[in-house]
Amino acid sequence: MRTCPGTNSAVRSHLSDFKKHRAARIDHYVVEVNKLIIRLEKLTAFDRTNTESAKIRAIEKSVVPWVNDQDVPFCPDCGNKFSIRNRRHHCRLCGSIMCKKCMELISLPLANKLTSASKESLSTHTSPSQSPNSVHGSRRGSISSMSSVSSVLDEKDDDRIRCCTHCKDTLLKREQQIDEKEHTPDIVKLYEKLRLCMEKVDQKAPEYIRMAASLNAGETTYSLEHASDLRVEVQKVYELIDALSKKILTLGLNQDPPPHPSNLRLQRMIRYSATLFVQEKLLGLMSLPTKEQFEELKKKRKEEMERKRAVERQAALESQRRLEERQSGLASRAANGEVASLRRGPAPLRKAEGWLPLSGGQGQSEDSDPLLQQIHNITSFIRQAKAAGRMDEVRTLQENLRQLQDEYDQQQTEKAIELSRRQAEEEDLQREQLQMLRERELEREREQFRVASLHTRTRSLDFREIGPFQLEPSREPRTHLAYALDLGSSPVPSSTAPKTPSLSSTQPTRVWSGPPAVGQERLPQSSMPQQHEGPSLNPFDEEDLSSPMEEATTGPPAAGVSLDPSARILKEYNPFEEEDEEEEAVAGNPFIQPDSPAPNPFSEEDEHPQQRLSSPLVPGNPFEEPTCINPFEMDSDSGPEAEEPIEEELLLQQIDNIKAYIFDAKQCGRLDEVEVLTENLRELKHTLAKQKGGTD
Amino acid sequence: MNVVFAVKQYISKMIEDSGPGMKVLLMDKETTGIVSMVYTQSEILQKEVYLFERIDSQNREIMKHLKAICFLRPTKENVDYIIQELRRPKYTIYFIYFSNVISKSDVKSLAEADEQEVVAEVQEFYGDYIAVNPHLFSLNILGCCQGRNWDPAQLSRTTQGLTALLLSLKKCPMIRYQLSSEAAKRLAECVKQVITKEYELFEFRRTEVPPLLLILDRCDDAITPLLNQAFVENYPQFKKMSGTVSKHVTVVGELSRLVSERNLLEVSEVEQELACQNDHSSALQNIKRLLQNPKVTEFDAARLVMLYALHYERHSSNSLPGLMMDLRNKGVSEKYRKLVSAVVEYGGKRVRGSDLFSPKDAVAITKQFLKGLKGVENVYTQHQPFLHETLDHLIKGRLKENLYPYLGPSTLRDRPQDIIVFVIGGATYEEALTVYNLNRTTPGVRIVLGGTTVHNTKSFLEEVLASGLHSRSKESSQVTSRSASRR
Repeated sequence: MRTCPGTNSAVRSHLSDFKKHRAARIDHYVVEVNKLIIRLEKLTAFDRTNTESAKIRAIEKSVVPWVNDQDVPFCPDCGNKFSIRNRRHHCRLCGSIMCKKCMELISLPLANKLTSASKESLSTHTSPSQSPNSVHGSRRGSISSMSSVSSVLDEKDDDRIRCCTHCKDTLLKREQQIDEKEHTPDIVKLYEKLRLCMEKVDQKAPEYIRMAASLNAGETTYSLEHASDLRVEVQKVYELIDALSKKILTLGLNQDPPPHPSNLRLQRMIRYSATLFVQEKLLGLMSLPTKEQFEELKKKRKEEMERKRAVERQAALESQRRLEERQSGLASRAANGEVASLRRGPAPLRKAEGWLPLSGGQGQSEDSDPLLQQIHNITSFIRQAKAAGRMDEVRTLQENLRQLQDEYDQQQTEKAIELSRRQAEEEDLQREQLQMLRERELEREREQFRVASLHTRTRSLDFREIGPFQLEPSREPRTHLAYALDLGSSPVPSSTAPKTPSLSSTQPTRVWSGPPAVGQERLPQSSMPQQHEGPSLNPFDEEDLSSPMEEATTGPPAAGVSLDPSARILKEYNPFEEEDEEEEAVAGNPFIQPDSPAPNPFSEEDEHPQQRLSSPLVPGNPFEEPTCINPFEMDSDSGPEAEEPIEEELLLQQIDNIKAYIFDAKQCGRLDEVEVLTENLRELKHTLAKQKGGTD
Repeated sequence: MNVVFAVKQYISKMIEDSGPGMKVLLMDKETTGIVSMVYTQSEILQKEVYLFERIDSQNREIMKHLKAICFLRPTKENVDYIIQELRRPKYTIYFIYFSNVISKSDVKSLAEADEQEVVAEVQEFYGDYIAVNPHLFSLNILGCCQGRNWDPAQLSRTTQGLTALLLSLKKCPMIRYQLSSEAAKRLAECVKQVITKEYELFEFRRTEVPPLLLILDRCDDAITPLLNQAFVENYPQFKKMSGTVSKHVTVVGELSRLVSERNLLEVSEVEQELACQNDHSSALQNIKRLLQNPKVTEFDAARLVMLYALHYERHSSNSLPGLMMDLRNKGVSEKYRKLVSAVVEYGGKRVRGSDLFSPKDAVAITKQFLKGLKGVENVYTQHQPFLHETLDHLIKGRLKENLYPYLGPSTLRDRPQDIIVFVIGGATYEEALTVYNLNRTTPGVRIVLGGTTVHNTKSFLEEVLASGLHSRSKESSQVTSRSASRR
C-alpha cells in the first residue's frame, strides 16, 4: 500500500474505500433503473394495439399503483391547478401525477431498445446487445399495420407509454449508455489499426535488421529473397502507418459542423506521434545487397572462412604435434622407469605387472584422444612404479601426469570455446585468433630476425630492397596462402626451418625475399596494408563495396522519410521539439548554460593583474572553490594552478596569528574552536612545508 | 534523492496503469507545471497520451474513446470539478491521482458521484512540487509571508509540498530550523504535525543515519538573490529563441550585448566587492562612481545601494542617505528607492540570526585571510552563498544547535547523510550550484535544495514587496517589538 512497485516513492490507494462508497450508491441507482425497466417490460409485453384501452389501463394500473387523484391538487412539476380542463395524468412507470404539459412519452421502439439491451447485458457481459433492431423490428411491423386504428382513438396509447420527466430522464441516460457501448467511432477503428501496425513494426523490424546485417556480412543463414520480402513487408507497414495516421488527421474535416477543436487536436497529435515513430524506426532499417553484390559478398566470405579454417586447422595440428612430441618425450622417459610400491589416485586399479600401459575399458573408449591415452598410460606407470616402491620415479611421473592433465584441461576448454565460436559464427573472434597466431609467429620470427640481423649488415637498406618484390600484386594471394599453410602445417621446430638459411646467408636481400613469410611480416608500412590485410580482413573491402550499393538501395527508405512533406512541417511547427532539448537542459542542470557563456564576458578577466599576482592553494583545498571561474572544470584547472606558491612570509605570519588565536581560544575555554584552529594551523604548516619542498 | 526522477516515476506509473489506448491527461494549473518539468511532449506521446486538458476548462468535448488520467492537487475546487465530471463523464474511464493526501470525506463524495462506474483508480501520488533539476525543487510561491509571518494559505501549501517531497523520496526526517525565523519554526512544526498524523505513510525502512530536513529563511541571506546571476536571469528570453545552431551564438552575443550595454562587468565587480569584502570607503567610492555612469540602469543602481545598505547598515560612517540622494538625482523611480529600505527591513541585521558579512569565528577569519592572501581568481564569482557555510557546518556536524535547533527532543548523533534544505522565501540558482558542488565533492552526502520559489533579483524584490515590509513606518516598529519579544 505504501509503495508502488516500479517506483521508489510512496503512494496510497483509496480505491477500496472508493469502491465501497460507490457500491452503496450504485446499488440504489441500479435498483431505480432496473425497477423502471422491469415495469417498462411489463407494459410492453402484451400486444397493445390489439387490446382495448380499458384493458390496457387495467394492466397499466396493475404494474404500478397509481397515486390517488385527490391527493394531488397541483401539478408537482409546473404547479398548475388541476381542473376539468387541466386533467391529471399518471406516470405509467412510477404512478405519480402530472399535467399534460409536463407529461412525457416513451415510444415502443425506445422501450424495446431499453428492455432488450438490459436483457442481453444480463445474459452476456461480453457481447453487448447483438441486435436490438431485430426485436423491435418485428414488433414495429405490428405497430405500423395497426397505426390507422390507433390514431382514431384519442386516449388509447397503443404505441407509447406515458411517464413523468423524472422517469424519462433516467431512461434516456440509460439509453445513452447503451448507445455508447455499441458505437465505435471511426477514429478508434483507425487508431486500433494504427497501433497494430506499430506493433508489427516493433516485431518485424528487429528481425529484418538481423537478416540484413547477416546478409551484408555475406552469410547465408537467411535467404536474400526472404529478407527482401520482409523488407517490402515492413515498408508496406510503414506506408500503412503513414496512410492511417494521415486519414486520422483528416477525419471529419469536410463535415459540417466541423469536429470539436479537441478532436482535431487529438487527430493532429496521433498523426504527429505516428510520424515520429516512422522517422525513428526507419532510421534503423539498413539496406540489402543486390543479388550480384550478395554473390560477391558470399564469395568473399567463403574465401575468408576457408582461409580461417585452414589457419585453424594448421594451428590445431601444430599444437597437437607439439603435444605429441612432448608425450613421446615423456613416454620414453617413463619407459625407462622402475617400480614403485605405493599407490595413490582414485582411478580403478589393476594388477601391476611392469611398466606397460594398461589397456582397460576406459582406455579403449577414450583413446581417440592421444592426450587422454597418454594420461592413462602415465597413471598406469605410476601405479606400477608405486607397486615397485620407486618413490622418486613416482614423483616424476606424477609431475608428468599433472602437466598432461593441465594440458588436457586446456585443450578441452579451448575446444569448447572453439565450438561455441563456430556455432555463433563470430568471425571477429576468429579473426582475432588468426591475428594472434600471426603475431605469435611474427614474434617468433622477430626473434629469428634479431638473430639474423646480427649476421646481416644493414637492416634499413634491406627493407628498401624488398619493397618492389612484395608489392607485386600477382604474388599476393599466393604468398598469403603459402604463408598460412607454412605457418600451420609445420610444427614449431620446422616452422623456423625456412628462416634458418638467413642465419647462414651472407646476402641480405635473399634473406628477405626468399621465405615469403618473413618478408611479409617485415614489410614496411606502405605495402603492408594492401598485401596483408587486404585479402584477409573482409570488412575493409565490404565497406568499399557497400557504399555505392547503399546509395542505390537506400532509395526507398530515404523516400519514406521524405515521403510526406507535411510530416516534416508538422514536426517543425510543433514547438515542443525545440523546447524539449532546452527544457531537458534546464532540468538537467541549469549551470551548464550559465557557465558556458561565462568565459566570454569575463575573458578580459584573464589579464586581470590580480590574477597573475594571485597564488592559488593546493588542490582539494576547500577554500579554493569559491574563486574558481568554472566550477565544472575545477578539477582540471586546479592541477597546474595549485603549484603556485603563497608568499612564505605571509604564511609564517598567519601561522603566528593562528597560534595566538589558539591560545586565546584555550584561555576562554572554547574547545571546539581550538580543535578547528589546530586543524587550520596544520593546514597552513602543511602548505608551508610543501612550498619549501617545492622551492628546494 | 533525485527529485526529477521521483516525479517522473509517478507520472510514468500513472500512464502505465491506464493500459493501452488513446489517453487524455487531465490536470490543474499546478500539476500542469509539475508534469511539464519532468516529461517532454514527444516522450509522453509515445505512451499514447495525446491530449492535455485542464480540469477547469469548460469547453471540453465528450470523447468517449479516450481514457482519462487525472493528476490533480487535492483542493476543494478540484474535488468539485471531478464530481461534476463524474456525474456527466466525458471519457470512457477515469484514473484519478491526487498529488497529496486527500480526505476520506472527499473520497466518499467522489464515489457517490460515480454512478456510471467510470472510475478505475483513486490514488495519492506525491508529486506535489516542481522538480527543477535532480537536486532542486520549487513550489512556485511568490510572496509566502506577510510581514514576518506566513500567509496561512501558503503555509499550508508549503507544508503539503514539503511533506510530498519527503514521501516521494521516502524520507522521514529529523527537522532542524533557523531559530531567528518564526516562519521557519512554524513550517517545521507543521511538517512534523503531518508526519505524526500520517505516521502510517511515513513508515519507511529505517536508515542507519536518519535523513535531515533543514528549514531556513531567506531573510538570513538577502545578499545572494541581489547579486547578478547574469545568465540565469535572462534565460527565459533566450529560451524563446529557437534554432539550436544559432542559439549558442545568439546567447553569447546577446549576453555580451547586455553586459556592455548595462556596464555589467563593472557593476558585478562592485557587487561582489560589496558582498565579500569589508572595505567601506572603497565600496562607497565605487558605488558613487557607478551611480554617475549613465549606462548603469536604475535597477542595477538600486541594487548596488541595497547591497551597500545591507552590508554597511551599522557602519559608523554609513552614508546611505547620501546614496539615496544620488539615486534620486539619477532619476531612479520611487518604487526602487523604496525597495532599498524594504530590503533592509527584510534582511537587515536585526532580522538575521547569523552574521553575513564580518565573520566572527576564527575559522572564517582564517578563510578570509587565506582568500586575501591568494587574491581572487575571478572577481565576478567571489561570492559564496551563505548557504554554503551553513551546509558545510551541517555536514561536518558543526552546525550550532543554539542557532539551528532540532524540533523535538531527539538529535542526530552522526553526521547527516541525506539532507533536505528548504528556504522559505525562495532559493537561488547560485545556491543550487553550491548544493550541486557539495554533492559532487562530498562523498556519502546527498543534498536536495528546495524553496518556496527559485529567485532571481527581480522576483526576490517582488517577494520583498509582497511581504509588505516596504514602509519603515508603524509596521516596522511592530516588527521590532515582535522580534524583541521573541528573544
